[in-house]
Amino acid sequence: MTNPDLASDATRKRKLREGALLLPIFGAFLLVSPLITVFTGASSVFGLPLIFIYIFGVWLGLVLIARAMARRLDKG
Amino acid sequence: MLSLNTLIAASLGYALLLFTIAFWAERRAKAGRIGWLRSPFVYTLSISVYCTGWTFYGAVGSAARNGFEFVTIYLGPTLVFIGWWWLLRKLLRVGRAQRITSIADLISSRYGKSNTLAVLVTLLAVIGSTPYIALQLQSITLSFSVFEGGGNANLTAFWVAAGLAVFTILFGTRNVDANERHHGVVTAIAIEAVVKLVALLSVGVFVVWGIADGPADIFAKAPPDMLRGDSIFSARWVSLTMLSAMAIITLPRMFQVIVVENANERHLATASWAFPGYLLLMSLFVLPIAIAGNALMPAGANPDLYVLSLPLSQGQENLALFAFLGGFSSATSMVIIAAIALSTMVSNHIIMPLWLRFSPPRTETSGDVRTILLRSRRLSIAGILLLGYLYFRLTGGSGALASIGLIAFAGMAQIIPSLLGGLFWRGATRTGALLGLLSGFALWAYTLFLPSFEGGFILSQSAIENGPFGLAYLIPNALFGLTGYDPLVHSLFWSMTLNVTLFILGSLLSTPRPLERIQASQFVDVFRLDKATGSYLVSRSATSEDLFTLAQRILGADPAQRLFTEMARQQGKAHGLPDATDGLVQTLERELAGSVGAASAHAMVSQIAGGGTVSVDELMKIADETAQILEYSQQLENQSHRLENAMQELRAANAQLTEMGAQKDAFLSQVSHELRTPMTSIRSFSEILRESDNLELPDAKRFLGIIQEESVRLTRLLDEILDLSHLEGGRGQLPLEPIVLQEVIEKSLNATGALLDEAGIVVVNTVPEAPVIVMANFDRLAQVLINLISNTVKYGRRENPELTIGVTRSDGMATLTMADNGPGIAAADRKKVFEKFTRLSESTLAGSAGLGLPISREIMRNLQGDLTLKPSRIGAVFEVRIPLA
Repeated sequence: MTNPDLASDATRKRKLREGALLLPIFGAFLLVSPLITVFTGASSVFGLPLIFIYIFGVWLGLVLIARAMARRLDKG
Repeated sequence: MLSLNTLIAASLGYALLLFTIAFWAERRAKAGRIGWLRSPFVYTLSISVYCTGWTFYGAVGSAARNGFEFVTIYLGPTLVFIGWWWLLRKLLRVGRAQRITSIADLISSRYGKSNTLAVLVTLLAVIGSTPYIALQLQSITLSFSVFEGGGNANLTAFWVAAGLAVFTILFGTRNVDANERHHGVVTAIAIEAVVKLVALLSVGVFVVWGIADGPADIFAKAPPDMLRGDSIFSARWVSLTMLSAMAIITLPRMFQVIVVENANERHLATASWAFPGYLLLMSLFVLPIAIAGNALMPAGANPDLYVLSLPLSQGQENLALFAFLGGFSSATSMVIIAAIALSTMVSNHIIMPLWLRFSPPRTETSGDVRTILLRSRRLSIAGILLLGYLYFRLTGGSGALASIGLIAFAGMAQIIPSLLGGLFWRGATRTGALLGLLSGFALWAYTLFLPSFEGGFILSQSAIENGPFGLAYLIPNALFGLTGYDPLVHSLFWSMTLNVTLFILGSLLSTPRPLERIQASQFVDVFRLDKATGSYLVSRSATSEDLFTLAQRILGADPAQRLFTEMARQQGKAHGLPDATDGLVQTLERELAGSVGAASAHAMVSQIAGGGTVSVDELMKIADETAQILEYSQQLENQSHRLENAMQELRAANAQLTEMGAQKDAFLSQVSHELRTPMTSIRSFSEILRESDNLELPDAKRFLGIIQEESVRLTRLLDEILDLSHLEGGRGQLPLEPIVLQEVIEKSLNATGALLDEAGIVVVNTVPEAPVIVMANFDRLAQVLINLISNTVKYGRRENPELTIGVTRSDGMATLTMADNGPGIAAADRKKVFEKFTRLSESTLAGSAGLGLPISREIMRNLQGDLTLKPSRIGAVFEVRIPLA
């Protein structure tokens, strides 16, 4: 008999691993695709150029997500 | 102004500090107190050797010229690190399992321990890294020049190179085993990583809040088109990101810190986010510094040196000195690690194989390999730094240096197809890797590396501009007429296209050698081969003395002693040398690989083992033997399994027989007991009748009545016993016919109606009206139901007694339940009710010998159904299962 907890745990781990594969792809989509040109306009946020906020914001987001995922992946 | 002497004193003091720290860490590690020296954060900081002097100063310069483009150099590694689970983790695992010492060793090991590949990668690493080392020397001399006096650039470069050589030799070649990590060096690098980060952040904070009035003020000073236009997202943007992503894995120094110096695979989990975080901090203030520099510095100032000249121009001498030390840290850490990595490659893949070839054939008759290995590594370090210095002298100050960092990236990136293919594609072969690497490197050299000398090396100026011999389609920067692209993008496009194509075609069209095939699965399936026994090696003619001598020479006397004692212990020998088994040879080869690289270790051990190289025949022989042994042992295992099963069955049968014997005994004693009771009363009453002469008629009649009653009971008991033995013996299958279950129930209720009325039991009939047709024997089924109902009458006594009868269908069976609301049956008694002559409690009524339920169950089993007692909270619930017709 399969333990339902074990089964859902395995599913969770598989999803986590797949997420780990998708994160760099997602990052590349945000930072190395034509999408980035949307943010190169003249507008600014609090005096900072929008592109500056965008690139460093995405970057920081990636670091934080990677941190959360690394902790879980490391445990599993 | 700061004087040159202060500067030199500060540099020397800082260098001395690093020496002390390295020395202290080395001592600590030797004493076994590694502790935080090997924490995940030290590992992360050591990876920051990626940020060299070129990035420390050059990033600001690049930002001043090209705006946001500098950030791509950090984004590539960020993407690789957040995807660590899929690539870096595998690389680390392979590196550990195969005891890989360098990127060249990795490629060679994957493709059948090919030394040709190792030499090729080593040469290219040296070609790519020499200008890079020169670039670091230049960045240090340039930073000196910002301060007053500046000194003699060549002299500064020379002393820096010499100092670095001493440091690297001292702490980088303490032991020959590259897998025994360089604790001193790594600790010093980690300190330098902190210094350069804090230095850059300090300058950034000073520029943004000291010179300007916060970030908004800074960006207001930026030229309007600085952050717009083509610099963001272009072919170059994509290429640079890809290039830096590839470089973080393939650059010799990066491979050294990420894979070779890694102490614990789990540290990677921390580095996966902490290193991108470090890069983010490193680049956060680059743009503001560049903007402020452009706005405040005189027109001719070198943007590459804004980090130093900006604080100096504001009179912040201490900050400038700190920034100088940051740059110094960046440059020196790169040179140290690169020198260690390159010297390992050069000595393992070039010097050692040559020495092996020209030394006498048997290793034990020649000199001490260990000494030679250390000496060759030290010489290599000195040689590499000398090369860097010479390169700096020859091209000193030329603009070519500025872009040499990216050129080196592009060169080392050529390894990527063979590396990724080797890790994930089983079909990748040595031929494919060789073709891909050669073509990729050739095109890179032709389209990017040689033109960077601006006519000074091999390609003349006119050949670069108009193509060799005036052939326009061969112009290095516009190959086959592909014009209008950035030279880097152009070169990357052609070299990578050809590299990947030839790698795949070559792999598909060639047949891998057996050793390659073995290594391929060791790499590709590294996570599946947790305790893989490693590669095959023929060791028939090797003696353990020979192998021990070899190990002593390379590993040193003590480690060899330890290794062989351990192996002997594993083989179950209390003392003496272990047997020269395949296992020993493999372990030894791996240990040696940690010192001299896989290819050399393989060559050495093979030489001793007598085979020279592993031939296909020998490999096949080993494979055959292994297969035979496996099959044989599997057969043995199967047989013992079967025996064990038979034993178990026998034991079970025996237990069953014993139990049945006991049951039989119990049955017999019960039967005689049950028969005795009526017999006793018949005997005593008939004795009274015979011996008493003055017996009144009514009394006599009563006694005769008892005798008759007892005889009937006796007859019934005997009938029941006969019936049971008949049923149990399985003799006489009961005839089956389709019958309507409701009719059987009806009949049983009618037969027991008087009994039920007498006991005052109310029958609740929930049987559905639609006829349920079952395969059974009408009379026998009725017998079972009557038995159950009378059972209820006997045991189900209480106030307002009720008997509920229900029928359900499932899985081709009809289930009839009969539930009363009486006292029920205690859990402990549930199994006993079906045993013969069991009476559950003292309140049992006379009239039954306790055979009713066992008989009923036998009947039901005979009818291919069953009778069970269901656990319930109220009353007893019997379940009769009958197959549907």
